[in-house]
Amino acid sequence: MKRTRGQHVITYVGLAAGLLLVIGPFLWAGLSSFKPESEIRRDPPTLLPETWTLGNYAELLERVHIGQAFMNSMIVALAIVAGNLLFGSMVGYGFAKLQFRGKNVVFALVLAQMAVPAIVLMMPQFVLIAKLGMVNTFLGIILPGLINPLGVFLMRQFIADLPDELIHAARVDGAGEFRIFFRIILPLCRPAMATLGLITFLGAWNNFLWPAVVAQSEDLYTLPVALNILNFAEGTHYNLLVAGSVIVIAPILILFVFLQRFFIQGIATSGIK
Amino acid sequence: MNTTTRRSAAGLLALAILAAGCGREASKAPEQAKDVATGKVAGEVTVWAIGEEGKALGAFAKDFESANPGVKVNVTPMGWDVAHDKITSAIAGSATPDVSMIGSTWAGELSKTGALEPTPGNLIDKAAFFPGAWQTVDVNGTAYGVPWYVETRVFYYRKDQAEKAGVEPPKTWAEWKTFVKALQDRGGAKKGFNQGYTEGSWQEMVPLIWQAGGEIVKDGTYTFDTPEAITGLKQYASLFQEKLAPNDTPKGGFPQNFIKGEVGGFISGPWMAGVLNNDGGAGFKDKFDVVPYPKGPVSGTSFVGGSDLVVFKKAQNRDAAWKFVQWLSEPKVQAKWYTTVKALPAVQSAWQEPELTADPQLKVFGEQLKDAKTPPPYPTWEQLAKVMEGELEKLALGKSTPEQAAKAIQAQADAIGTGL
Repeated sequence: MKRTRGQHVITYVGLAAGLLLVIGPFLWAGLSSFKPESEIRRDPPTLLPETWTLGNYAELLERVHIGQAFMNSMIVALAIVAGNLLFGSMVGYGFAKLQFRGKNVVFALVLAQMAVPAIVLMMPQFVLIAKLGMVNTFLGIILPGLINPLGVFLMRQFIADLPDELIHAARVDGAGEFRIFFRIILPLCRPAMATLGLITFLGAWNNFLWPAVVAQSEDLYTLPVALNILNFAEGTHYNLLVAGSVIVIAPILILFVFLQRFFIQGIATSGIK
Repeated sequence: MNTTTRRSAAGLLALAILAAGCGREASKAPEQAKDVATGKVAGEVTVWAIGEEGKALGAFAKDFESANPGVKVNVTPMGWDVAHDKITSAIAGSATPDVSMIGSTWAGELSKTGALEPTPGNLIDKAAFFPGAWQTVDVNGTAYGVPWYVETRVFYYRKDQAEKAGVEPPKTWAEWKTFVKALQDRGGAKKGFNQGYTEGSWQEMVPLIWQAGGEIVKDGTYTFDTPEAITGLKQYASLFQEKLAPNDTPKGGFPQNFIKGEVGGFISGPWMAGVLNNDGGAGFKDKFDVVPYPKGPVSGTSFVGGSDLVVFKKAQNRDAAWKFVQWLSEPKVQAKWYTTVKALPAVQSAWQEPELTADPQLKVFGEQLKDAKTPPPYPTWEQLAKVMEGELEKLALGKSTPEQAAKAIQAQADAIGTGL
């Protein structure tokens, strides 16, 4: 069916309106980070800054060790992503392609964990980490995040769809399970891993409560934890918070742009089939 | 600082696990404080502090370090959103610092875990502090820590509107209403008076009960259904009923509605002066003023909040920890702390220091602090506060009567208990 020019116009107007709705708040926050605080709080609000200033960023750098916090966030998020990619796909492979007794029960148990809110686990996990002497260490912040049931589920669904013949062929050729996993399965999992990587990165990057509780000195604070110091009910420094938010969001946006192609592919594969 | 409304579900949960996990019977006999050595101290002191204070304390403590060679104070700042969870987790995992700042309603629940050290009487003099502030650390007769700084609530009003309407700020409950009516009719404050009825509203209602001569706690149980409590609730509700206070203010509409002049007054704490000066722009400073709470049938008692400093039993450096706490309670240090982060001194004599006598608005807060109380430091207080907020909202919207509200709050309070 051929569309008329009019239909195209309507489609694009609709899409543009939707886009505006989605990016509007980001745009406002991004632009507001260049406004002086009094302008941010003004009612009615302005979109474009009347006076452009870099003062918010300068003040933020001065008041919070933003460089250090950024590095800490990167270390934590990347370690957690690496852990999830490796362990999530390993466990997922086991559930998808290996036969063992009680497999379905174990898998159900893993899935059941998705129903337990992380907040419930926080206290026992903290006590455990404390007993291991890992309070106030990177390891303590990272360890509980290295694998999560969502990742296992995602990878299992994806790997289950890969043809068994590949694995049989490899086995016939004398490859062991690890070799099959690293040489055959992992390379085929790229779209799913991109999805998992992005989701995990988002979660780890934005995670607030756990790092806030485990890090007991400022030099281990991640970005959200460091920025939270500035946030208090009656005197919230909105100018600093919007500037901080831009710093928090920027890497996520960049990552998303890079992984977008894989990301969409991954969601489609694991979701529909 | 609105420390009292900050509590997350996680925190309560953490506490529940903590209480269950420790299986510690709360002994009825008050815990005895042990004296501390008052001589020379040395070594490291780890201190946690929250928000703005957390950012500023590290540099501020340099004076203490130079006065006590060999002592190093390590301050870790934390955000208000996480402070409570962080402290309860640290207690559960035995990973506490030496000293921590806590919200003014936390002492009860934290002391119940057995992690806080009672305040040594040989170092700290209770009489130096405002009595209302001392209440925040006093749990059934044993003090845990000391009040650090305070805030109290006073009556803010638009000076320009009052002048235009030809009225003086109110001194009694009756004058309160005629004052607001005059601002509405002749001053331009169409909406009247901003009285809170959502989050934190209990902080505006509880003082009214005190002003009517009531107590919210007697002999270890909550008392919200007394005639005095109903008198307080009636006063609260009447502002809404008589259309003197709006009950349709959009979230976040305050304090912009005060700056625009739609409302001509409100009750709040010292931080609002800074917010108004900042948001109101140039010249707004002269358009508003503060006076103490209008007096009820019995008194003009206000609410006192703020924050406390506590020392943990597992402190690595007990003597230095207490010495640091004691140093922060010295009048001159308290006055200097005021100039650093605008936190009002909890120590009475600090108010004689020149830093605090210069500002006339500040004096109003100093006056009000002499007659100010705190809610009991019971572990269940935050839970009950949520109940009150719900009931007050119904009251403000005209969906219940003061008597019904009193009954409902009391019923819930009985069900919840004090938690001690």
